[in-house]
Amino acid sequence: MAKNTAEFTVADQTAWCPGCGNFGIINALSQALEGLGLKKNQVLYVSGIGQAGKTPHYIHGNVLNTLHGRTLPTATGAKLANGDLHVIAVGGDGDGYAEGGNHFLHAIRKNINITYLVHDNQVFGLTKGQASPRSDQGMVTGTTPQGVSLEAFNPLATAITLNSGFVARSYAGDRDHLARTIQAAIQHEGFALIDILQPCVTFNKINTYQFYRSRIYDLDQEEGYDRRNREAAWARSFEWGGRIPIGIFYQVDRPTLADTYGDLLKTPLVKQEYDKSVVAQLVDRFRIG
Amino acid sequence: MQTFNIKIGGEAGQGLVSIGNILLRAITQEGWHLFAHQDYESRIRGGHNFFQIRLANKPVASWENEIDVLVALDETTIILGQGELRSSGVVIYDPGVLGEKAKELGNQPNYLGLPFGQIAEELGQPKIVANAAAAGAIWALLSDDLITLHQTLDVMFGSKGKKVVEGNQKVATAGFDKVREVMGSRSKPAKPERQGERLLLKGNDALPLGALSAGLKFMSAYPMTPATGVTEFIAEYGREVSAVMEQAEDEISAINMAIGASYTGVRAMTATSGGGFALMTEALSLAGSAEIPIVVINAMRPGPSTGLPTRTEQGDLSFAVAMSFGDFPRAVFAPGDPEEAFYLMGEAFNVAEEYQMPVVVLSDQHLADSYTTVPPFDLGRVKIKRGKVVSGAEAGPDYLRYAYTKDGISPRLYPGFGDGVVVSAGDEHDEKGHLIEDGETRQKMMEKRMTKQGLVEKRAVEPVLCGSEEPDATLIGFGSTKGAIAEAVRALNEGGCKVQGVHLPQVFPLPESLDAILQRPGRKFIVEGNYSGQLEALLASRFAVKPTGSIRRYDGRPINAQYILDRLRGGVCDG
Repeated sequence: MAKNTAEFTVADQTAWCPGCGNFGIINALSQALEGLGLKKNQVLYVSGIGQAGKTPHYIHGNVLNTLHGRTLPTATGAKLANGDLHVIAVGGDGDGYAEGGNHFLHAIRKNINITYLVHDNQVFGLTKGQASPRSDQGMVTGTTPQGVSLEAFNPLATAITLNSGFVARSYAGDRDHLARTIQAAIQHEGFALIDILQPCVTFNKINTYQFYRSRIYDLDQEEGYDRRNREAAWARSFEWGGRIPIGIFYQVDRPTLADTYGDLLKTPLVKQEYDKSVVAQLVDRFRIG
Repeated sequence: MQTFNIKIGGEAGQGLVSIGNILLRAITQEGWHLFAHQDYESRIRGGHNFFQIRLANKPVASWENEIDVLVALDETTIILGQGELRSSGVVIYDPGVLGEKAKELGNQPNYLGLPFGQIAEELGQPKIVANAAAAGAIWALLSDDLITLHQTLDVMFGSKGKKVVEGNQKVATAGFDKVREVMGSRSKPAKPERQGERLLLKGNDALPLGALSAGLKFMSAYPMTPATGVTEFIAEYGREVSAVMEQAEDEISAINMAIGASYTGVRAMTATSGGGFALMTEALSLAGSAEIPIVVINAMRPGPSTGLPTRTEQGDLSFAVAMSFGDFPRAVFAPGDPEEAFYLMGEAFNVAEEYQMPVVVLSDQHLADSYTTVPPFDLGRVKIKRGKVVSGAEAGPDYLRYAYTKDGISPRLYPGFGDGVVVSAGDEHDEKGHLIEDGETRQKMMEKRMTKQGLVEKRAVEPVLCGSEEPDATLIGFGSTKGAIAEAVRALNEGGCKVQGVHLPQVFPLPESLDAILQRPGRKFIVEGNYSGQLEALLASRFAVKPTGSIRRYDGRPINAQYILDRLRGGVCDG
């Protein structure tokens, strides 16, 4: 496995299968963070549960390993309390789009300034191969022996519909593209979603490296594509099959959640001193007599 | 002690809370002590609600069944309330609301019809000022002059301009004069010797005020009756003291946001009621495993399920103590009145941070919505103890978030405050915070965490005792029954019994000193607002206790002294 420089070293030992798409993702993440010149103590990974959720434990940085599906609210609280931290939420498609579906919608609405990496392997890996909201129709899994009957959840279309400020897709098999996209997401002020196509070599025999290699094309290289055009982005978000776009689909500036608090969060809450005299004035409001 | 009870009843939306609030301020300003509770339905308009104020020349901690003044904005108030009227009691009603059922009652000499809305309109005021007419009418039974009431209206409506204040004062005067005209100058309830300044607040003011005084910086919540008042309080006042209140999409998100904030090093909490608390339990387990401090206020209402959403009960005690899946240390507090609620919030945050664990504060609708007058809070008594926190330099580059220590408490570093990184995990982990599978580490980590439970037990808040020090009988309760038990004990002791009241501000872990109380000879009665006797079961799980009797209430209404006395029926200290 490729090694990175000291700040965001990737661990030798992991609990992932040989050939797992997670390796490509963690190496790209390391490359992106190194490229931005960040220090490990400035970065906070908030992780869900699943194989993707283990990622932060294999790379340097602060870690808050949470519950299945609960990455986004936890990351939101952490970022509101300490805006100095670069908060990166990490989880799988089951974690984010099934268990955490409601949080996904509302994190976008809140436009909390965090980066959200979804390792999208279109299957539940850690529980050994059940259908996820991202599984293709017809896919046979442990819980769908007759094949998945539901339409796959479309995270990009959903995010664009909710006017998410940064909506991107990348691919675990293209380290440079993913690293570039992660850097753009971190630099974006507001909620930044990267849905990362990630082959699961053990449980997903449909969406393989081979499958993606022949279909993927890069929107960032597409002449005339305007990522500020919401309708164009929305149309591209439904493209799946013969050609699959990756890149930044949509990007606009919106006030972040912290902005809505005005000056209150200009200094991170965690660095604001407790002022007893101000509290005393508040208590005095209830004085009568 | 002389007490005087005012009950204002009507439909939701008729302004009875506004009338109540005017009177609460004026009564406090005038120097009386008071206790006021609210009873309302789960609806926005219509139905039948009431606001009941008990004032006295000595501190009062609960409500009474008998009414001195019944103010009826609807017919139901008269039909339901006439049986509660003392023989000297007065009914002031809006004649427009009397239907067939109450018409005859209206002819009685102690019934006074006052068209509040019409009084306001005749004085050229909008209909909403009718509330001032009602307040003025009631005030005529409390005072010989209008000075304090007028001052109160000035304070309450001053921000709306002089015209509004004067309009309200004019209408209040008219209501006051009408009552004096018909009833003459009756004797007024006795006043205490002049009081100094006091605070007037309800549980849902005292809890968030206590939290802010304890350094709360972050709250996230999803609205749920009867906890919403806490949330709205922080939303309204939090920013003045640099505290954020972020509304969440659900209770799961609410508690996880607060946990995320707490991880970074700020004091954080959430507030909810039973159903929302149920959704939060998953995250309580995370806080237990990852050793992240968190305070949750659970304002109880009658379950199961949606139950009676606006009423009171103490039916979540067992649930709060059990809290979630897996073994992890925790503490549960149960303040009995606003003053205790204020100071216990400080203790709740200290325990949460010193022992790095989840803490639940049990409130209920009766505590949440009931007002009392209390001496000004002593902020000097609120000691903020943030526990073992290390600086970046102390932590060094190889900081271990879950370092093994003798007391099981690992020093916290706030992320970003040093070269070392802070790795926290709900998954079982090693000292560094990284995930493990081996049994040996698991066992050590479990023992490390559970060591803290013993420490919390050692510092458990002591029971609050009242009444006889050498009792023949003991009444034991927790939470909002505190005042009712204290008043029942006082009445029994005045009647010649030797009775002690034991209120438990902390219900988990229970203080060791409770053992001696439970083991001593004499009768023991356990008073609680639930069906199955959850406090009784909790006590029995820890101590050898054989109660003589149980007094329980589960009709959604609050327990008061009379309720307890009626059920003891003299069985406390005779034969």
